[in-house]
Amino acid sequence: MTLFRTAFGAALLVACLDHAAMATTQNVIFNGTVTATCTLVVGSNGTMTVSPDLQSLSSHNSGGSAGTVTLTTTGGVSLSVDPVTTTTVPAADSTATTWTPTYSASGAHAIAETASSTALTVPGADLVSVNLAGTKSGSNRFANGNYQATVTLRCE
Amino acid sequence: MKHILNLATALAVGLMPIAAGAQSMSPMRGEVNSFTDAFAVRVFPANPYDQKIKVEIHVYDQDFQPVDAKISPSVFQLGSQASRPVLVVVPFGGAAERKVRICTESIPFPNQQTQIRAQICGKFFGHRKS
Repeated sequence: MTLFRTAFGAALLVACLDHAAMATTQNVIFNGTVTATCTLVVGSNGTMTVSPDLQSLSSHNSGGSAGTVTLTTTGGVSLSVDPVTTTTVPAADSTATTWTPTYSASGAHAIAETASSTALTVPGADLVSVNLAGTKSGSNRFANGNYQATVTLRCE
Repeated sequence: MKHILNLATALAVGLMPIAAGAQSMSPMRGEVNSFTDAFAVRVFPANPYDQKIKVEIHVYDQDFQPVDAKISPSVFQLGSQASRPVLVVVPFGGAAERKVRICTESIPFPNQQTQIRAQICGKFFGHRKS
């Protein structure tokens, strides 16, 4: 009788274990797509100062400052600056000026100062410095008065 | 455990508007099939600043020449952290397909010596189906 009880108990335990083993699992799938994104937040505009020889009006000159932009991207975009087309010069300045916009970046992407387009392949955030230099050649000089220029920083 | 759940929920709810507002324009890529002489794209410019800004929408071709597209609205004020839909209808101009850039532009701090215009451009490809 004792042997029967032992055998019955063991059989019952195995049956219970079988039931536990029959429990099923089901995966729940989550999908997500991150599309190419780029955010530009202008922190500050730049300031240009004139050089001692009056032939350079630039944010690189002493006392000048670059504009700053915070860029955040998923990657898969490119960064560039457009040639300067919108300027305001004093009436006394009637000579030609060559404007050269450039940018550099530090952070997720290390970009040395350039005027060319840069592909941003990896995600991350950067601090972009935007510089502008106006130059006059020959005997031409910058005149007394207010200058204003607009640099377009593009992320696409 | 309940406190942790509450904290996580509050954090998620708090982060949602920030995440939604942290885009300057979406989508930035798109491909559209159209059975008419034009194709339409709806983009969502967003203002990531803590101030109201003036936003302009422009459409350019691959060489950055302006495209005669219908943009509704093309110029508007956008509140801080806000976003709004803009409908752009681009004519095929007799072509079977057309690639355009739809750009969101703003000068957040105007009237200064060196202004920075931030421009976010999306690339869109329209196919005309017969």
